Amino acid sequence: MTNLTEWVLILPLLGFVLLGLFGRMLPRPAILTIAWGASGLAFLFALVGFLSMLQTTPDSARMADQVIYTWVNSGTVATGVLTNNVPLNINFGLLLDPLSATMLMVITGVGFLIHIYSAGYMEEDPGFWRFFAYMNFFIFAMVLLVSADNFLFLLLGWALVGLASFLLIGFWFTRRSAVAAARKALVINIIGDFGLMLAIFMIFQNYGTLNYLTTASGNGVFNLVTHNGVAVGITTAICLLLFVACAAKSAQLPLYMWLPDAMEGPTPVSALIHAATMVTAGVYLVARANPLFQVSPAALTTVAIIGAATALFAATIALTQLDIKRVLAYSTISQLGYMFMAEGAQNYSGGVFHLTTHAYFKALLFLGAGSVIHALGGEQDMREMGGLRHRLKITYWTFLVAALAISGIIPFAGFWSKDDIIGSLLARAVDGGGVLFYVLWGVALLTAGLTAFYMFRLVFNVFFGSYRGSGPLAHAHGEPEEVGEEEEAHHAARGGFYAIYESPAVMTVPLVILAVLSVIGGLVGSYAIFGRPTWHLFANFLSPIFSNGHWTSVAVLEAPLSIGVGWISTGASLALAVLGILVAWLRYRRGFEYKESRNPVYQLVLHKYYIDELCTAVIINPLLWLGRTATSLLEGGLLDGGSRGIGWVTRGVSGGLRRLQTGYMRNYALAILFGVVLLVIYYAVMRG
Amino acid sequence: MQEIPMTWYLIVSAILFTIGVVGVLVRRNPLTVFMSIELMLNAVNLSFITFSKYLDSVDGQMFVFLVLTVAAAEVVVGLAIIVSIFRTRRNINVDELNVLRG
Repeated sequence: MTNLTEWVLILPLLGFVLLGLFGRMLPRPAILTIAWGASGLAFLFALVGFLSMLQTTPDSARMADQVIYTWVNSGTVATGVLTNNVPLNINFGLLLDPLSATMLMVITGVGFLIHIYSAGYMEEDPGFWRFFAYMNFFIFAMVLLVSADNFLFLLLGWALVGLASFLLIGFWFTRRSAVAAARKALVINIIGDFGLMLAIFMIFQNYGTLNYLTTASGNGVFNLVTHNGVAVGITTAICLLLFVACAAKSAQLPLYMWLPDAMEGPTPVSALIHAATMVTAGVYLVARANPLFQVSPAALTTVAIIGAATALFAATIALTQLDIKRVLAYSTISQLGYMFMAEGAQNYSGGVFHLTTHAYFKALLFLGAGSVIHALGGEQDMREMGGLRHRLKITYWTFLVAALAISGIIPFAGFWSKDDIIGSLLARAVDGGGVLFYVLWGVALLTAGLTAFYMFRLVFNVFFGSYRGSGPLAHAHGEPEEVGEEEEAHHAARGGFYAIYESPAVMTVPLVILAVLSVIGGLVGSYAIFGRPTWHLFANFLSPIFSNGHWTSVAVLEAPLSIGVGWISTGASLALAVLGILVAWLRYRRGFEYKESRNPVYQLVLHKYYIDELCTAVIINPLLWLGRTATSLLEGGLLDGGSRGIGWVTRGVSGGLRRLQTGYMRNYALAILFGVVLLVIYYAVMRG
Repeated sequence: MQEIPMTWYLIVSAILFTIGVVGVLVRRNPLTVFMSIELMLNAVNLSFITFSKYLDSVDGQMFVFLVLTVAAAEVVVGLAIIVSIFRTRRNINVDELNVLRG
């Protein structure tokens, strides 16, 4: 099997360095050549690795750990033995296995498409070169995160994607809100990084190694999990700390607040980082660390409950939002909740499956939203849109496909992965999961209905009805064209409607490719509904990760769902999705007459449950107060006061002493005389 | 002839030293101050000689030569400074030479 991960890693880094150093001087075609070349070649190398993996048999041979260099080597230890006080050995190694190969395909593939799209979206931005430098840097960091073969380099990638996210959210750094959002994202991400760091300390303390897998160069954590040397409580603590990191990175309760604000970044960034790839790092980490989570049922239950709570919570907020990107942001949070729900139910492959399909359709939704925003000259408020399906035809059709996919309509990609998740929740409930998993199953179904509703509320508001724009574009005059009656009505109402043009091909081609993926991307898991788990190609592909000679992480169900029960679950989620779309159709198909309801529940949801306000009051303001107090008391009072006091005393004393230096020679002579007299008296009297 | 007791020499020496000290403290003319310093040095020399004689040791006399040499050198440097000050300020009153005050 060919492991080309080093090239997948190096090329974007090279692109970042070149663009970062020389981008300012390069013409735009050169910038695009470097940025597209780096990400495109990275995708090609990832693809070659992936294809060569597919040809490798048996499944257990689909693992290549490539040690690039040894960073820390403080001794050798017998492999396969769990002992304390072992030397620290850290290699910089790249692991290519089904999980990292899948992630690499998603990251470089979607990343490449978004690089292409960005050329159109960012065309007029003065920070063109800086944008592509950051984007390449992000690809590099994300590849490092998913292909590291030990927890330390995972942490490195984890922190670097956080940095890339910070830089790109704050890309338009002259906007105060963008800077504030970038700072918020960074702070919350650092909380997660801290959790990951603590988890890594505990892993090393208890397992004596940071590698994932046992190789020739040393022990691996996952191989040691089955040894009974570590108490379950310890592993639970490790898993919960890992999950703190996951919750921060993947915007789960209660650390989700940064993601909606992250929409301040350019829309391609929202698509790549805050929808398709970086925010799924938490899902990746839980899947990667599945042998650890498997040991700790408590941690798994926590993951499932948090995931379900987040999915429902974010979906309700998405119902009321008016900013097109914020609806999608809350939708992302909600879908990430789905993935964690699946993982909590030990359906790790289902989580990763939804991760991949979600990457396609959510990237497509964001890019479509970006296309709309681009066409409207920066307008993001849904109240200023409407009727756009007549002007933005490609955007409309691709967006519709993505909306159908995320709503879980058969046979789009989202249907298969969502059905996989919901079915596995029911299977766990039937198979001894108890009331909890029935509740989770219900939450997942309810969220599926809500998802369909808010997505089609968005679709109808943006693309149906009549154009309601009143922004600068509304008064511009476009070319009058041969139009149908309906459009003439628009024209009469709003002249600016004809100043709206479909985005250039460089933006629409990625939309079409992603739309195709959103249609067919789920077919690799499509056989699951026939009740034959062995037909689930995607799960089979990932299975070496979840069970091998050392651990078995996939729930071995004593009574797997019969086809009939599975179909009830599938039918229920489909019915709810269709119901959601229908309700949205009834309410919004004629467009969007927005009037703010005084209903307290509506107000509560519109204001996102006042979580931001609560957070400001309970956490941020006390911290700010503490900081200000510390500034005035400690900084100003103690430290400054101390150092100023020393200066003041010195000045005072020397100011007194300098009066002695009169410059009169006779004063000095007199002083000398007194000194001599004193000495004489001392020796004469005291010494007898 | 009866030998003069050591005490008398020391008294003379103390008187001379005191005259020198008072001269240094009260006179304004640096030349007089210098002479007073010479007086103090010679008072010390006298006591050195006295002790040398009575202790029957030449150490004291050696010190006297050293003091004489240093005094000569000091006067040379001091007079040079005074001449230099006089050339720049046309005034050598010690009470007005206070520009080195702190």
